[in-house]
Amino acid sequence: MAQLLRSRKHTTLLFVLWLLLLVAGLGVGLASGVHVLVNGLGVTNLTNQAPWGLWIVVDLSSIALGAGAFTLSAAVYVFRLKHLEAIARAAVFVGLLGYTSAMLALLMDIGRPDRFYHPMIYWNVHSVLWEITLAVMLYTTVLVLEFVPIAIESLVPHRFHFLHRLAHFLHRVMPVIALIGMSISMIHQSSLGATYGILTARPVWYSPSAPVMFILSAIAGGPALTLFLALLSGILLNKDMLPRRVVRDVARLIGFAALAYLYLKLWSWASTTYYSRIPERETGLELLNLNTPYGFTFWWGEVLLGAVVPAIIMLWSRLRNNRYILMFGCALVIFGLLIYRWNMTLSGFTVPLNWNPGVRNVEHINIYTPSLVEWGVTLGIFCYGCLAFTLGVRFLNLFPEAKPMTPDTETAPVAVEHTPPASEPPMQPQPSGAD
Amino acid sequence: MSNQSEPATEVSTAKERTTILTRREFTTLLIGSGVTMAMAAFLSEPLNPAVARMLEAQKATEGHGKRKRHWVMVIDLSKCVGCDYCVYACQATNDTTDDMRWNIRIDDETETGKVFHLTRPCLHCQHAPCVEVCPVAATYHREDGLVVMDYNKCIGCRYCQTACPYGARVFNWIERGDEPNPRAGDWGRPEVPRRPRGVVEKCTFCIHRIDAGLARGQMPGVDPEATPACVNICPVNARHFGDLNNPDSRVARIIASQPTLRLREDLGTDPSVYYIPPEGLV
Repeated sequence: MAQLLRSRKHTTLLFVLWLLLLVAGLGVGLASGVHVLVNGLGVTNLTNQAPWGLWIVVDLSSIALGAGAFTLSAAVYVFRLKHLEAIARAAVFVGLLGYTSAMLALLMDIGRPDRFYHPMIYWNVHSVLWEITLAVMLYTTVLVLEFVPIAIESLVPHRFHFLHRLAHFLHRVMPVIALIGMSISMIHQSSLGATYGILTARPVWYSPSAPVMFILSAIAGGPALTLFLALLSGILLNKDMLPRRVVRDVARLIGFAALAYLYLKLWSWASTTYYSRIPERETGLELLNLNTPYGFTFWWGEVLLGAVVPAIIMLWSRLRNNRYILMFGCALVIFGLLIYRWNMTLSGFTVPLNWNPGVRNVEHINIYTPSLVEWGVTLGIFCYGCLAFTLGVRFLNLFPEAKPMTPDTETAPVAVEHTPPASEPPMQPQPSGAD
Repeated sequence: MSNQSEPATEVSTAKERTTILTRREFTTLLIGSGVTMAMAAFLSEPLNPAVARMLEAQKATEGHGKRKRHWVMVIDLSKCVGCDYCVYACQATNDTTDDMRWNIRIDDETETGKVFHLTRPCLHCQHAPCVEVCPVAATYHREDGLVVMDYNKCIGCRYCQTACPYGARVFNWIERGDEPNPRAGDWGRPEVPRRPRGVVEKCTFCIHRIDAGLARGQMPGVDPEATPACVNICPVNARHFGDLNNPDSRVARIIASQPTLRLREDLGTDPSVYYIPPEGLV
């Protein structure tokens, strides 16, 4: 490890300060986490009326933002878009960070962290949350299997032949692992939306479209985070981490996913509030708009800034070709996803349950604002992700095709793309002989 | 290359299969489909009343000849005066604090403005959303209709709280010390141990009294020792408890003879708490 540290140059003061900042944030998170574990969830602002809050939002968002791993792995290994392999490694790493972050948040959030393994022993196959728990555990295993070859290749000296053979073997079976990973992800990414979507007693939540909206926003948001981080590290290291063609294709994938998400979102809104009316849902939305900025955040955050604007950026080549605008677009997708997860989680709790047979509103609006401890834990998880990615970019070979940076305006993107890299084998066999 | 050999294969198959259905195949098919249809006819309930009756009997019994019980509560809203006695007795008996009551009272009014008092224990739904969503099956249906908690399985994820349409579940946010129960003494004394921090709990219909009472040969709803505390203490006899599957029980007679309502029947949860509506409430 010391060898490895010495072999890298360019340890600037700014880099050290950045690391120190992250470590400080991690310390805050650790202190908050210990506080919660010792004193229980009573230190949070959660109540029996709003039992889920910021940590569930963190959990849902990190899993969704880790979706780049399954999306891009599937693109490379299942759909055979080989050139996207340039970003697949980074996506797997970001995915692993996302899923471990989610697990940290969940561990904080459940009342009995010492029983985290119970879903594996005590099965309730009817529970959507049981399915999610199992799928998240399985998929994290998949991510570890996908990550191990990267780690071995980057960190383990060549004299450890066995480990390198293991890495090689894992690399060879990667299509199978990717297929399994994709299947598991397709299930649980949407089931997270179903967590709310299936609750018939909560009219603001109940929607068959929620699972599909969750997975579509994850397919947009996951690659968006990976692409954002790749572009950001490129700017900081003065490199092009990804070939132009890869950036373009991933941006288009994000754009189309955002459009699909937008389409479903607008229909889901129109079919339940505009073209039809469910009295309870109507009252619920009225209450939300009276007491929270729900309507504003929905239209401006989720729809306009979270889907419309980024879809335009991702699909309009003139905007997309500027890396700063592209990064802004990725950030917007991520922002929209966070707003959606926040709104989804809290809106259902804010609107009180309606079970009394009379005409009075007996239950009160539940306004939840996270406590300082909840923010502390969230900061810690965020800093964990940033620190791990920073170190990952430095010590792991996450971007195998990184090259010195060329300015955005200099290259005509289309002309360069068509010459395949020399290392790549020809894609199609030569047509020889008659069929 | 395989294109050339294909027509030859087709011809040879056609030559072999001059008979489309051999006699043996025909017979097998005939007997097979006959047996299948006979079995289907025998097993399907509308076609075979005997099987239907058998299944019905099987559903109604516990397996060892006894009729399966279904504990239900009837709460008479036209009698309830809103005294909160049942709330306090429940707190004392089940050892709950003021902000984690299992049985709550609300004041509601009919459309004509008549105020009535509604108390709400856990409704022990026969299709309970909390049971359906629990990832570890820590909350489950008992044979006798009760929805119960296994505090040793619960991981404290609180999805059941999210899913319960009636807000009947409370979470142990903090570790409870040895401080005395605020209602113990006047309203009874704790009969069950305190629950640990980090698990969800809810009304049990005083399951400890039911089980111990039955073991002693007492009948819940008749003998006070075997009956939920909230039912015993009610000064106006607004609460009744008993076995709905026993047509002679008081609850079965009330439900058979009087109009009753259950909360949010539209959700299909099939609650075990029946309310006798106050005047003016549909």
